[in-house]
Amino acid sequence: MIEIQNLHKDFGDLKVLKGVDLSIKPGEVVSILGGSGSGKSTMMRCINGLESITKGKIIVDDFDVSKSNDLREVRKRCSTVFQQFDLYPHLRVIDNITLAPIAVLGQSKEEANDKAMELLNSVALGDRASAYPSQLSGGQKQRIGICRALAMNPSYLLLDEVTSSLDPEMTAEVLDILKILSKQGITMISVTHEIEFAREISDRIVFLDEGRILKDLPKDDFFSESGGKSDPRIARFLSKMGNV
Amino acid sequence: MFDLSSMTEYVPAFVEGFIVTAQVSIVSIIGSFLIGVIVALMRVSTNKALQFISLCYVDLFRNIPFIVLIFFSFYGLPEIGVYIDAFWTGCLTLSVAVGAYVAETLRAGIINIDKGIIEASKSFGLSKFRIYQKVIMPIALTTSVRPLGSVFINLILTTSILSAITLNELTGASKIIASTTFRPFEVYVFLVIFYGILTFILSGIIAVWHRHLNKYNGVA
Ligand SMILES: Nc1ncnc2c1ncn2[C@@H]1O[C@H](COP(=O)(O)OP(=O)(O)OP(=O)(O)O)[C@@H](O)[C@H]1O
Ligand SMILES: [Mg+2]
Repeated sequence: MIEIQNLHKDFGDLKVLKGVDLSIKPGEVVSILGGSGSGKSTMMRCINGLESITKGKIIVDDFDVSKSNDLREVRKRCSTVFQQFDLYPHLRVIDNITLAPIAVLGQSKEEANDKAMELLNSVALGDRASAYPSQLSGGQKQRIGICRALAMNPSYLLLDEVTSSLDPEMTAEVLDILKILSKQGITMISVTHEIEFAREISDRIVFLDEGRILKDLPKDDFFSESGGKSDPRIARFLSKMGNV
Repeated sequence: MFDLSSMTEYVPAFVEGFIVTAQVSIVSIIGSFLIGVIVALMRVSTNKALQFISLCYVDLFRNIPFIVLIFFSFYGLPEIGVYIDAFWTGCLTLSVAVGAYVAETLRAGIINIDKGIIEASKSFGLSKFRIYQKVIMPIALTTSVRPLGSVFINLILTTSILSAITLNELTGASKIIASTTFRPFEVYVFLVIFYGILTFILSGIIAVWHRHLNKYNGVA
């Protein structure tokens, strides 16, 4: 369970998040939509402590993100896939995946390697285990990014626009993997501009606007004329995204 | 007349000096590297006090001529009761002085790392120590290793100044040979060759290290 209570985040004078309340239950797939600058990335970064919290609270499975003793536990439970991949450039694919399981979860090298190979095979990259990230395409890098996140056996998978650095073909190959994952019971929180994808995988859609949650609705309600679309800002956003 | 054969009987003396120079160089390279790593980490830490101390250290030791430092350690420190022999005075002073340059070189490598990569490692719960050990240092070294090579070659050349504190390393030994044989030209030809051997070996090691560290991006 992730519970965000009255979350505020300022950068100096700039108030980015202005009281966000959100709770995410185990197994839920939640998509976060919203315009550029609405605070989606900032909220995601607050969840695993990459950004400090100005006011409010985030609790992940009883662990408080702003307590440094708890943060490590939070980070064990939440794995992130990054927009820019952010793979470790100096490590081979397999070592990218096993670094944290060995260093943080205390897995043995064999155990971590076995798990990594299993994940690599599941994204059809088993033969690239000893390549370096610079030798891979963007789509391949992001599939490795997903493997690296899953290798931690996370309870929560955080995805922040994981396909927006990819061309359409590679976007499809990554989205396909995420679709499969979303059906396997892992809790997913995904910031995305891929409305169709959000509509397909999500249980719930949360719409952020200027640092506040404007709507938090079950998927079908969100996309109905009487639900989410009844709000002009959301209707405008969806039509801008090419979805009417 | 130029006559290298006149040097034959002095080859052992040269070799002895060469060995001292090599020893001082190796010890000081290791020492300055260790000091440099620590000071670089202080430079990039979030602790203001550590930042300040390390900045003072770097500025201080990059702005004092080495010969002044070495005179200070060798002739000044005994005045306040600190006695160390010429060899260890040389090694310590070189390590401390060159450590400042190593620190700046490493710092440049560290601050150039893509922040996203460091955040990724943080987000998976790696401890600070592990992040430095497994992510930051290896990546920083890949860009720092060449400039580090220059710093260390400079260190080798600087060891010649230790002849000024009675250490009979290569330059010191050569001075003695030159003054007994009155053949400075031949002596200094030998000297050049010996320094050349040392810096050549070091350049080779740096090149191999560079290739090893950079194999991931095909820079080689
Ligand atoms: N480290 C920072 N320092 C100062 N301002 C920041 C920082 N990070 C984000 N901001 C500002 O906070 C606001 C929200 O940024 P955020 O990245 O959360 O938006 P977003 O909803 O993810 O937008 P996008 O869809 O473009 O990714 C923006 O105005 C941004 O400029
Ligand atoms: Mg964003």
